[in-house]
Amino acid sequence: MRLLHNYHYIGAMVLFCIGLYTVIVRRNIIKKLIGLNIMETSVFFFYISLGYLDGGIAPIRTGGADPSRMVNPIPQALILTGIVVAVSVTALALSLVILLYRQYGTLDVDHLMRDETAQDSGVGEEEATQ
Amino acid sequence: MKKLLSLLFISALGILLLYVVANMPPMGDPGAPTRERVIPRYLEEAEEETNTTNVITGIILNYRGYDTMGEVTVIFCALACVLAVLGREKRGRIYAFVDRSTTPSSVIVKTMVRFLVPLIILFSVYTIMHGEISPGGGFQGGAIVGASMIIFSTIFGLWEASERIPQKLRAPLEGSACITFFLVGVLGLIGGGNFLTYAWPRISSSLQPAVVTWLTVLVEIGIGLGGAMVFISILFSMSREEEEIAPAA
Amino acid sequence: MGTTLNVVIIALLVATALLAVFSKDLLAAVIVFSVYSLLMALMWQRLQAPDLALTEAAVGAGITTVLFVITIFKTHRREER
Repeated sequence: MRLLHNYHYIGAMVLFCIGLYTVIVRRNIIKKLIGLNIMETSVFFFYISLGYLDGGIAPIRTGGADPSRMVNPIPQALILTGIVVAVSVTALALSLVILLYRQYGTLDVDHLMRDETAQDSGVGEEEATQ
Repeated sequence: MKKLLSLLFISALGILLLYVVANMPPMGDPGAPTRERVIPRYLEEAEEETNTTNVITGIILNYRGYDTMGEVTVIFCALACVLAVLGREKRGRIYAFVDRSTTPSSVIVKTMVRFLVPLIILFSVYTIMHGEISPGGGFQGGAIVGASMIIFSTIFGLWEASERIPQKLRAPLEGSACITFFLVGVLGLIGGGNFLTYAWPRISSSLQPAVVTWLTVLVEIGIGLGGAMVFISILFSMSREEEEIAPAA
Repeated sequence: MGTTLNVVIIALLVATALLAVFSKDLLAAVIVFSVYSLLMALMWQRLQAPDLALTEAAVGAGITTVLFVITIFKTHRREER
């Protein structure tokens, strides 16, 4: 059956759904960043397993490696760039989290949104009374 | 309520994705259309045109050099944004972020780390220089150097690690990946081809393979050095301590 | 043999992802996430991509995990509320 033969794709989709659940439902920002990383790596996994060949060998031409048995090298080159971009995004997001904690003292998204609206209405009241 | 709605949405998305996966062509099929034209052209011509044994290095540095130039720009932008948000570490006020723990490092751990870090850096240099012969490359070597500095700064403290690779050394080298790419591109223009051409049309064709190899190695070293400095700078920047501002609870 | 190993690695990937998502202690979640990175590096090697395996091992288990741990130390949080 085709669905069971493509079990790599099923695994990638399940991991994507787990990551998406984490980003939507969890309230802590660091948990959301972990979910974002899981989503990114699941997409890379899907993309690389598209270029697989049954019984293939790695695309490195040493010795007498036969080019007609190698797996597809182009997705691997593209995903190498993708992994680098993923780690850059994670580093920048974590430094923003440090700054956020220093300013507000909490990492809970619901509390942060409530704090922000309270501060906005507080400033509005001061301006109205003056 | 929000949790139930999002669970419904994710289940619907999951069912849709499973339906798509069930109708995809089988994985690993030797008769796929790309196997007849696209892949043999890259695999067979890569060794003569790019002079590398590792086809993937030939693709990312030669055939798709623009993508790699964008990638090193993204790394440098991430470093610039982290420095804009957090600032560099100041030599007068750093405390090691591990000093808050209660156990100092013992003599055994310190000796082992002193022994291991040069070996790790040697391995990373090997990975960078062999990027075109075996699996490896510039970015992998840069990440390994970053990992070695992480070990060093965890055991010995941020002050000592910042003494080994001071800011005067790091700051000019952080952009070396982008500068190397730009330099090689302009050299390609001077050599008579397009931007980022490795095989210059102006020199004789017996010299061209050597020039291609040397330019590829130069770009690999630039990416490795730049990536290493970027990771070390991000690490030092994020682990600096300063006086805590009272949270606006 | 090849298929069994692939299925086992994918099952372990899903299990560690679920563990990392559903644990209340943030430090434990990050350490399990580094195990996830290691299993993903193994999966790259099973798909005959050695460059990606090297990159994922160096970057995922080395750089990303340490940056997460530094952030958790700085935000004084051990429990997710």
